Amino acid sequence: MNTLIEAICMERCTITEGRDTGNTGGPQQPDSHAPKKTLSVLLAGFIVCAFNCYLFQVAAFPQSDENSQKTVTTSNLNELNESTGPALKPEQEIAVLKKEELELAERLMKDFPDSINAIIHMGNLWERHGDATKALEYFDKALEQDPERPDVYKSIGWFFMNKEQYEQAIEYWQKALQIDPNTPGVHHDIALALMGQNKQSQAIGELEKDIQISPRSSLSYFLLGQLYLRQKEYEKARNYYEKAIEIEPNHTNAYYGLFTLSIRLKQQDKAKEYMAVFKKLKAEDMKILKDRNKAVDDLIQMQKGAAETYMLAGQMYQAEGDFQKAEELLKGATTLDPNNILCLEKLASLYLTSNRITDAISLYRKISEIDPKDPICHLNIGILSMRLKQLEKAEKAFHNVIEVAPGFSGGYRELAQLYLRAGRGYPEARALAEKAVALEPTALNYFVLCWACDMNGDSQNAIKAIKRAIQLEPANLKYRNVYEHIKSKN
Amino acid sequence: MCMSILRARIKTISSAERQDHWRNIGCWFVAVLLVLHLSVDAFADSPILLRDVTKETSITFTHTDGGSGRHYIMETVSAGLALFDYDNDGDVDIYFLNGAPLKGTEVDVKPKNALYRNEGGWKFTDVTEQAGVGDSGYGLGVTVGDYDNDGDLDIYLNNYGPNVLYRNNGDGTFTDVAEKAGVDNGFHVGAGTCFLDADKDGDLDLYVSIYLDFSYEKHVTTTTKGFPVYANPRFYPPMPDFLYRNNGDGTFTDVSKSSGVGNHAGWGMGIVCGDYDNDGDTDVFIGNDVGENFLFQNDGTGKFEEVGLMTGAAYDLHGDEQGSMGVGCGDYDNDGLLDFYVTSYQGQLATLYRNLGSDMFEDVTLVTGSGTGTLPHVTWGNSFVDFDNNGIRDIFVACGHLQDNVEKFDDTTTYFARNLLLLNTGDGKFIDISDQSGDGMKIKLSSRGAGFDDLDNDGDVDVVILNSRREPTILRNDSPSREHWLQVRLRGVKTNRDGIGAHVKVGAGDLTQIDEVHSGRGYQGHFGSRLYFGLGNHEKVDRVEVRWIGGPVDVFENIAVDKMVTLIEGQGDG
Repeated sequence: MNTLIEAICMERCTITEGRDTGNTGGPQQPDSHAPKKTLSVLLAGFIVCAFNCYLFQVAAFPQSDENSQKTVTTSNLNELNESTGPALKPEQEIAVLKKEELELAERLMKDFPDSINAIIHMGNLWERHGDATKALEYFDKALEQDPERPDVYKSIGWFFMNKEQYEQAIEYWQKALQIDPNTPGVHHDIALALMGQNKQSQAIGELEKDIQISPRSSLSYFLLGQLYLRQKEYEKARNYYEKAIEIEPNHTNAYYGLFTLSIRLKQQDKAKEYMAVFKKLKAEDMKILKDRNKAVDDLIQMQKGAAETYMLAGQMYQAEGDFQKAEELLKGATTLDPNNILCLEKLASLYLTSNRITDAISLYRKISEIDPKDPICHLNIGILSMRLKQLEKAEKAFHNVIEVAPGFSGGYRELAQLYLRAGRGYPEARALAEKAVALEPTALNYFVLCWACDMNGDSQNAIKAIKRAIQLEPANLKYRNVYEHIKSKN
Repeated sequence: MCMSILRARIKTISSAERQDHWRNIGCWFVAVLLVLHLSVDAFADSPILLRDVTKETSITFTHTDGGSGRHYIMETVSAGLALFDYDNDGDVDIYFLNGAPLKGTEVDVKPKNALYRNEGGWKFTDVTEQAGVGDSGYGLGVTVGDYDNDGDLDIYLNNYGPNVLYRNNGDGTFTDVAEKAGVDNGFHVGAGTCFLDADKDGDLDLYVSIYLDFSYEKHVTTTTKGFPVYANPRFYPPMPDFLYRNNGDGTFTDVSKSSGVGNHAGWGMGIVCGDYDNDGDTDVFIGNDVGENFLFQNDGTGKFEEVGLMTGAAYDLHGDEQGSMGVGCGDYDNDGLLDFYVTSYQGQLATLYRNLGSDMFEDVTLVTGSGTGTLPHVTWGNSFVDFDNNGIRDIFVACGHLQDNVEKFDDTTTYFARNLLLLNTGDGKFIDISDQSGDGMKIKLSSRGAGFDDLDNDGDVDVVILNSRREPTILRNDSPSREHWLQVRLRGVKTNRDGIGAHVKVGAGDLTQIDEVHSGRGYQGHFGSRLYFGLGNHEKVDRVEVRWIGGPVDVFENIAVDKMVTLIEGQGDG
């Protein structure tokens, strides 16, 4: 069984890679062992490769064209990594960075003339650089190309909101809603504009719509509390403040609302109680603000912003199949913002498309240092280590998953599979598989449980488990094959 | 004149030509009328008109912030100004504060504060040198009051550096007695300052607000999007304020700690003293930049308890601190209670705190529209002023950014900004009439302190604005209103001489208004030693009630309108 599953793993990975990467010139596909390998191996391979799909981006990547006519300025990216002379003052660095970022964004618009994302990004870039007027020009251009972009209408709305032009802001936000009535946050923004015009009842209506779409928006609940307080509907106000606190227990403003409410109702004891909490939270907020002021470095902020542009550019070139440029740009993004997990994930994903597993693992390790509590990152390390047959490292990674996310079935399942494939720890594997099923009764988890029961000599429960897997995924032929196989053995 | 020219031309023209001629004349006449019409006030429909008369005044003062590009934080907050009658000749004079060279700045001529004597007819004379008030310290805040009760107004300067107490010698000159009096206050970054009779003993005590703890060694340089900018005040620790009790012999005693005010550290800016709770003593409101505002409630003996949070005056309606700048005090809704208006930073509305009575304030900015136009700007000097004398107080707001390069990294605002005029509609709302209110509202500079007084004694309130790094702006009130008015000057006898802190209630028919004499208000400045009451169409004042701080209540009845009256303590009916 173990050998069959391993065979399945290897064959399935190979097939998956071939389908995903086309004629990349990557690792040679091994000869098919299907007639000689057991079904279990095939199925195990399917499982591992299913997780490989989880790691890989959904979109297929066409072969990169070595002779691509599209160019990107790389000298500037090299400058990011090389020391080319006397150190620049931060202001000078920022000026250089801004120039390069703008040039890159303009290059994107030239190289991808049909890409509305490039235009929108240019708008966002100008907004970030403090030129809202220029930003608006690009947002308008984007809408000419595609008038069905609620995100763009949302941005334009804020342009007017910042100028106290509430009617115009609302007009644009309503356009966003006409396209997508469930665009998150727009009802909230409209409510703010209505509050600016003292249209309280209408603002309440908008906020009530907002919490239908975003039921965890503590800010909307708080603002509802404020509006009902203003209208002297004190019980409603209280309920909304408390809801805001339920979602966000340290909601400073909600405590202020409750304090104010208690004063109005002459509930002195309650007022004192809420005031005490408010003061404590406010003191913490002020400390955070003060520390943030000291910690915020203008150059670092600019670099983080620029990293977004490099990341977008990397993704766009990757989608076009220009992996070399994509890698340069994504590397540039990670250099600019070394703690940007998304940038690191994008680069890791790029490496995986060309089977550079070691490089990908190295990036996931970086991510795990930035966010040690990210279970998916540890899971990826484990799965990729398995691919490299580094079982010890894989085992450690899966243990990490369980430690940081004990309620997530993935860690237990993968560790179970590792033991089963390694040919050891079958009782532990079974216990782990059972835990996985208890947490998330998915077809896949049941399949692994079947495998573990089978390796522990418990055919009866193995059959039960695989039957359950079939019930959950009736179209999955492999599960049926396993079922038949176990039945035939017994 | 046009018609007589026309007649002279008509005599020599033949009849055939006359038709053409008349046609030409008609066109010409229409053209003349058109030109006349265009030159006539394009703002004729606005109830308030403020005209720029700066050039007429002969005032040549130019403010400097003393900077050299190093972005020291006090450069952004200079300065306030004072309007007061320094020579007791019946008209209001102007005292401008000036910055001074900071580290790294070299000048040929030391900049100084400047005192301009009002000669009448909108002419002002620089009398700084002869008056001896050309302090060359770094001017930030100023207040005026007769601290020695000798019948003339003295000046206190709250500087970056040693403070100055200019005692008025009564002959048009002043002497700096700060050190002798014990109020030179060390070396701090000053802010607003006020005289008040905190303990109701008949003489004026002194409240001195401190902005923050700065030294050149602590100076912080920072950038925004790569552009050097002035640092956020949060980089510097907040400081407690000072209260000096007047000993009655020309000296003061520091009672900051024992009074309670010195136990609270804040980033003090504009302040105003007033009896918000109507209990007969003077309380103190401090607008703290980037922190909660303080409201010090007087227990009647000069001991203060900080009640800002409890009363709802510390934060805005959401519980957020504001970048508080200037503080205005007045009764905007004529309910007999003093309200506060606090200007603020960009991205925040200037805040109107309505006094609800019973020690409660409510932020009514949004429901009244009193923050209209303030969101994109940094706002500073302000006041409740009844510009059109209709019996309800409007709001004037001085605007201008503190980052002189802001357009380079944020085009949603501007360094130079025009000021704002918000008309009180009488139903608890305000509307922005800046665009319709005269050429004076079109000036775009970076304004700071503003003062409001009747500079030409014509019954309406005019405006003086100190602009950072530039010449001031003087606005003459040319509102078309023919409404009635009353100006009240107080003369204390047993209480402080100028009636500072006295609470005045004016009743005319169904219109009842209150006001108080404040020393120190708005943005770190002083104005309004006399009180202004617009009376609408009421043709007489039935009753004026004056509650003197630490003194009696006087009632004066049947007062004629459209004049300034001097009410003397003890001469009314009790």
